[in-house]
Amino acid sequence: MLGSERGVVEEWLSEFKSLPETRIPSYAGSLHLKKSLVPALYRVIQDPNNELLEPVCHQLFELYRSSEDRLRRFTLQFLPELVWVYLRVTASRDRQSNGCIEALLLGIYNLEIVDKDGNSKLLSFTIPSLSKPSVYHEPSSLGSMALTEGALCQHDLIRVVYSGLHPQRETFTAQNRFEVLCFLMLCYNSAVVYMPLSSYQSVCRMSSRVCVCGFPRQQQKLWREPCNRVLLDPEFMVQMLTAVYHAIYNGEWEMGQEALEDIVYRAQLELYSQPLLLGNAMKNSLPESAPETQRGRKVLQVEVTPTISRISISAITTASIRRHRWKREDCFDYSTDAELSLAISPPSLVQHHLHDPPRETAAKEDRGGRHHSHHNGGSSIIPPITLEDADGMSGGEDSFNINDPDEGFSSGASNSSQPSGTKTGGSLGQRGSLNSSSSSFKKAITARLSRDKDKEKDREKERERDREVEKQVELCADQQAAGTKPRQRQQSPPGSIKLDAIHLSPIKKHLSFPAGHPLVRTGSTSSSKSFDCMNLNLNGGEDEREEAAGGSDKETGPLLGGSLRHSTVSLQEEHLNRPEESQALLSPGAPLTKQSRSPSFNMQIISQV
Amino acid sequence: MTARKSGSRLESEIERCRSESQWDKIPELVRQLSAKLISNGLCLEKVPSSSPSLSNKNSPSTNRSPAEREQEIITCYEKSGDIALLYLQEAEKVSGIQNRSPKPGPTSQDLELGYFLETGLQRAHVIHFKNGNLTQGVGRFREILRAVETRTTQNLRMTIARQLAEILLRGMCEQSYWSPLEDPPTVSPLDNPTQKGLTYSKNYTLSRRPRVYSGENLFCPQENTEEALLLLLISESMANRDAVLSRIPEHNNDRIISLQSASVVYDLLTIALGRRGQYEMLSECLERAMKFAFEEFHLWYQLALSLMAAGKSARAVKVLKECIRLKPDDPTIPLLAVKMCIGPLHWLDEGEKFAKMVIDMEEKAAEFRGKGYLAIGLVYSLKATDGKFCSSLSPTDHLAAFYLALQLAVSRQIPEALGYVRQALQLQGDDVHSLHLLALLLSAQKHYHDALNIIEMALSEYPENFNLLYTKVKLEAMCRGPEEALLTCKHMLQIWKSFYNLTNPSDSGRGSSLLDRAIADRRQLNAMTLPDFSDPDTGSVHATSIAASRVEQALSEVASSLQSSAPKHGPLHPWMTLAQIWLHAAEVYIGMSKPAEATACTQEAANLFPTSHNVLYMRGQIAELRGNMDDAKRWYEEALSINPTHVKTMQRLGLILHQLQRYSLSEKVLRDAVQVNSTAHDVWNSLGEVLQAQGNAAAATECFLTALELEASSPILPFTIIPRAL
Repeated sequence: MLGSERGVVEEWLSEFKSLPETRIPSYAGSLHLKKSLVPALYRVIQDPNNELLEPVCHQLFELYRSSEDRLRRFTLQFLPELVWVYLRVTASRDRQSNGCIEALLLGIYNLEIVDKDGNSKLLSFTIPSLSKPSVYHEPSSLGSMALTEGALCQHDLIRVVYSGLHPQRETFTAQNRFEVLCFLMLCYNSAVVYMPLSSYQSVCRMSSRVCVCGFPRQQQKLWREPCNRVLLDPEFMVQMLTAVYHAIYNGEWEMGQEALEDIVYRAQLELYSQPLLLGNAMKNSLPESAPETQRGRKVLQVEVTPTISRISISAITTASIRRHRWKREDCFDYSTDAELSLAISPPSLVQHHLHDPPRETAAKEDRGGRHHSHHNGGSSIIPPITLEDADGMSGGEDSFNINDPDEGFSSGASNSSQPSGTKTGGSLGQRGSLNSSSSSFKKAITARLSRDKDKEKDREKERERDREVEKQVELCADQQAAGTKPRQRQQSPPGSIKLDAIHLSPIKKHLSFPAGHPLVRTGSTSSSKSFDCMNLNLNGGEDEREEAAGGSDKETGPLLGGSLRHSTVSLQEEHLNRPEESQALLSPGAPLTKQSRSPSFNMQIISQV
Repeated sequence: MTARKSGSRLESEIERCRSESQWDKIPELVRQLSAKLISNGLCLEKVPSSSPSLSNKNSPSTNRSPAEREQEIITCYEKSGDIALLYLQEAEKVSGIQNRSPKPGPTSQDLELGYFLETGLQRAHVIHFKNGNLTQGVGRFREILRAVETRTTQNLRMTIARQLAEILLRGMCEQSYWSPLEDPPTVSPLDNPTQKGLTYSKNYTLSRRPRVYSGENLFCPQENTEEALLLLLISESMANRDAVLSRIPEHNNDRIISLQSASVVYDLLTIALGRRGQYEMLSECLERAMKFAFEEFHLWYQLALSLMAAGKSARAVKVLKECIRLKPDDPTIPLLAVKMCIGPLHWLDEGEKFAKMVIDMEEKAAEFRGKGYLAIGLVYSLKATDGKFCSSLSPTDHLAAFYLALQLAVSRQIPEALGYVRQALQLQGDDVHSLHLLALLLSAQKHYHDALNIIEMALSEYPENFNLLYTKVKLEAMCRGPEEALLTCKHMLQIWKSFYNLTNPSDSGRGSSLLDRAIADRRQLNAMTLPDFSDPDTGSVHATSIAASRVEQALSEVASSLQSSAPKHGPLHPWMTLAQIWLHAAEVYIGMSKPAEATACTQEAANLFPTSHNVLYMRGQIAELRGNMDDAKRWYEEALSINPTHVKTMQRLGLILHQLQRYSLSEKVLRDAVQVNSTAHDVWNSLGEVLQAQGNAAAATECFLTALELEASSPILPFTIIPRAL
């Protein structure tokens, strides 16, 4: 370390100590003007034997403790470097020299886990739902899509805690190491835009190194310092990715990309799905070349993009299919007024068929629709499906039918109403008119459905809960089938509409609720109850236990035997006087425990917002 | 100047037409007006700002600073953009397509964004960003997005929503965020410092502004990720609608376009949801992407990874199969599948297939080859056949050394196992499983105090690891007396409480029990629905009844999952841990001959899992302790009816039958037990006794000898309590 650098650091150390409270804001404002200070501090942190390391760590902590945001951010910019030094030393098992850096990291952690009033911080966010109007959209404007977005069953927004209730930590252990580091990186990422370029470089360097050191890839790097492998945690890698992602777009295009590659490399070796998932997405969405950087560090770029529909009008899209359906209804609306009265079936019946598969019937209908529209003499622009050869059409429709979650509500409802319509109408003999009448039924029932929507939603929720398990299994089978053999439908004989509809019913059940939100929701809501219930019980019990423990602790003296006996007695007493209480509390809890073992028992927390 | 004048003339002209309901004239006028504004803006942009002389000469009165110039350019664009929005909204209202259904009205086809309208809507924020003026760029984005959508602007909105989401994810963070309904911060680090002091203010007014979304209870994002997610979901639903479904060659280009635009959105969704740990929701979103996914590796792979991260292992493996088909050369994919097959799924045959794929890649698998061998070794080890590791391929992988040690330990080659576990510890000194195995190996050599020391050392690094604590209880009961062990049980209960309950007593007043749950339940129970598992007593798989296996699995594989980053370790349920703790306490009490206390502890466990064979076994032991052999027999029989291969129960039952002098039945039960687990020395011993009682001295001697030999290498708890996973 150069003498001048040393001088800079020493000056900085003494200056802050002598600073009166009142001048702190102006000091905070001028700190970034000391150009040589930050590199000098990096130099100190990197050198474990530097005698300035301890006062520097101490001072950095003092800055972090101040109420001034800019001072806190000054300390925070060194976080990646500190984490790197800490992890490297841990891997080399030379614990002693790491003391003050560990203390600084833990200090920051312990400050950050509580809010101003000393309560444990909870970081949460709301998962937006398209079914609820927002400042950017209204559900109906997205057509029927918004209605199926898991939405029919889930009208509440979900609030999720993504970090919180971290306990205070006095020491690092192998067990809590990454819990602390993850949280620290989360703090860094929540202030990442305020960090200087040097800190971005540091975070990229840190990420690259912890991921490759000790692995063959290290040989390809300029940095070859021998180092043991550093154990990593998937969540921590996700936090690294978040920071690196920011660095890539804010001035560190090349270093950032290298770090990204290294993290993905390590995630593959460790077989960690989470960082691999994010890393792949980041790599896949990178712009082709480095954006121009002439304007300082900002690499964010937006371009005027021609948005005039680039997809040729003749292509079959989800939307065109839907348009097609609407079209046909328009054609048949008036022609089949007579049958309309028949079509209004009792709601229970409608519901019964709500989940029937549209696959076969839809195909029939399309053909029927095509046919009729020709008769009607092109009263409308029929989308070019009519011009398609059968092959292209079936291919398109297949994939549409198999995994078309956003079609769910409207199409599912409208198509599936067909069998119910034919039944009520008793028009079994008139197969010829079946096609034409179907769409009017459809219309009538759709209208009806939209009125009964709310009632239905509730019922659907229930039904879904029942199906939850089987669905998960079957859905995957379906998906599999969909992926590997997409064509099957064409061969079925024309007369088998009803049969097929019944036959295929389980499939549609899944398809109409692919989003699965409600499953999670109901599952966890109920289990949350159970948990609360059990908590109550346990709290009762545990408090007693604690009291007992406290009691025994007080008396723990040299007479080991006695105190131990006391404690066993307290354990035992507790059991003796608990049964009534625990039975009373447990009896509602007992069935719920079973519930809580359900697979959808998960971390999501639900509340109505 | 002339342009401006005529601009305002055009504006009043439009107003006049509106009031006179001459709707047909308006479109043309609007086009003219925006064309005027745009060309004005474009011209101003073209004039280099560093030529004051030029503007001086031309019009001394308009000697503007660069800042004013910028302002004027932006005003031109923003104004034309607003006018365009307003016009489109009104046009749509008039042409009677108020119903926002996807029905195409006949008129909607003629409404198209022309060049000028589109430039007006996009150019302003592009300039903001070009100038490094992020705050205002974001502001302008939001203005456009808040305007009520028209059919014509749908594509534009999809693009803009995605772009804004990109900005939010790439250029902003929680602390720099402001909500769309708030005023932006005055000084923002987002803005280019060179532009400071140049705050642009809107200096034009329109008689009417575009309609914005309004109403009660509008959801307004309050957080960075929230807004990005909302925008991406909107964008996604539109991209999805444009999915080109036909496969004919003529539509190839269209399909690629629709795939690309959707793929970008899904990648961003992955980034936004992933950094918040919402893998469950992510997997659902990515499932919607499957309509684009035919032969698209990236989408399949991402779906598989998200399913895996969400804990839906069974589906993830199926999707991974498709990924392997699309990209047969990538060793990571089958390895991911093996990981799940070995871990939560316990599909050993499938796992073997995947592991062989990796090995068959040979040199292509490069660094993954060692992992492939490790995987197949693990599969074999779990199948309780001969595990063969190729640890020489990856001499720096502590896992290879560790599993080799574990396998040797299971086959009771204690000294060899010790050698390998030391090697593993040299490579990764913190590894909890290696430390645990070392302790068990020491206990097998009857060095109980050393084992206890190792356990305590490991506990100093992993203070909340229940698996270590269970071993500690056993060891303490052995070398420090049951009181000490009971203290440890109590300590475990306290840890359990602090782990799954309020961590911080001080904020219990905030009634956040719901929130606690969120933290505690991060550990998903995904494996609970899956049928098979490995019986911890034997290390091999048996087709025991599903009910028994579920409970048993959870009770015994509590494992290391209790680490802070639990999800990666798979199944675990807090209640099962609790039950397990109570059962351990009961066992200690039984060792102290205190049936009443033991009963109370067992009752606690029974409240949680009344039908666990472990609970029933414990009840049988208590009954035995009380001298009530008939009850004991009944309990043991019940336990066996739930899990017919529970060796400990079989051994006890055999003993009782022996005492009841029903020798041949006893012999049968004990022989079955030996079949299940041939390393249980006490079973051999009991079998010897029965044979002796039957007068079969030779066979009895052999049994006793076997028992003796096994006892010499028997650890305090079976080695198989150490979990095996990739």
